[in-house]
Amino acid sequence: MHLLEKVRETEFLGREFLLWLWFRAETERGFFDVGEKERAEVWFDGKITLRSENEKGVETIICSGNTSNMREARFALTEEKKVVQATVKLAMGDNQWSFTLDSTWLNFTTFKSPRVVQDREEDPDGVFYEKIFLMEKAISAMDKIYASFIKLRLSPEWDNKEGPELAGWISLYCWDAPAPYL
Amino acid sequence: MGLISGSTSFTRYLAKDSLPEDFMKDLSEKITRHSFQGLDEQSVDERSFGWVNIMNMFDSRFAGLEFLKEPYITMSLRVDERKVPATALKQHCLEAEERIKRDENLEYLPKNRRLDIKEGVRMRLLRRAIPASRCYDMVWNYSTGLVIFGSTSNRICDEFVELFLKTFGIELLAICPYILAGRALEKQGTSLDLLDGLVPWDFEQER
Repeated sequence: MHLLEKVRETEFLGREFLLWLWFRAETERGFFDVGEKERAEVWFDGKITLRSENEKGVETIICSGNTSNMREARFALTEEKKVVQATVKLAMGDNQWSFTLDSTWLNFTTFKSPRVVQDREEDPDGVFYEKIFLMEKAISAMDKIYASFIKLRLSPEWDNKEGPELAGWISLYCWDAPAPYL
Repeated sequence: MGLISGSTSFTRYLAKDSLPEDFMKDLSEKITRHSFQGLDEQSVDERSFGWVNIMNMFDSRFAGLEFLKEPYITMSLRVDERKVPATALKQHCLEAEERIKRDENLEYLPKNRRLDIKEGVRMRLLRRAIPASRCYDMVWNYSTGLVIFGSTSNRICDEFVELFLKTFGIELLAICPYILAGRALEKQGTSLDLLDGLVPWDFEQER
């Protein structure tokens, strides 16, 4: 199969990854091992874009605000809308990054690194190396989290445990869900 | 310096081929061959793009090895573009058409003639337009093959990939969920075939 065809056929992986990341963060399992003795915490923050495509056309909804109050976004999941973009916070040690991930390319937009300590006037190369180090650190962490998603997604554990739990989490905001959840 | 200052957006690529041993040889010449050349004030060219120093967008000489910050090669893609504002073009066209009608004692101008007038006016105004400059930073870690490019616009990204190939003779592969998944499986020592049979998870059925 041609590479472009494969890329197109597996576009859903990016959408499922963002959904899974949201689920893990909301169920207090947003901690990931991203290196030797290094843990990263991920949570959704600020803005989520969801989209559905069917015979009637494309519908997009953009929800912004505090994640715990993102009821419209959670409800949209029950309406078969998929997460196509999300603003994510990533924390490792004392450092924190913020960026928006899209499901198609997993591109980083509005990427903000922690503040660099090197002085631009005194040592411009130092600023460059520090900034790139921080960028690569965040990229590497997100790639490792994505790798752990792929490993899980292809394992029997996905069908037996993670998938059903994720489906259950989505159902919490169904119209026919018990009252406390709505 | 978009990538290394403030908030930024970027696309990631992987350099497809491994680097030849003499890769560093003639690197300056290769880059200089595709360095940025400003738009000539007398020309009617609308667009120009090429490499500039990441630290200084007005420096496209690459006299030293300022692009080399081991293990990175860093440059900016500078794009200069000049455009004639639509309202100015419309106004100048109307004036030109009225003048011709008056001079040639015509009541109407045929469509083809009006198109010719429009193109002539556009070319005249283009020489007076000041180009807008934009820079998109590129950081290539040549030890890992990862390339970070400071834009997510399809058009700019396509131009970047093409210029990168022309400059270094190396093809870039845009990173996407499939490519990343393939890399993850490779590292885990798992077959890539697993991805071929994968279909979207049916959450509806599970619920």
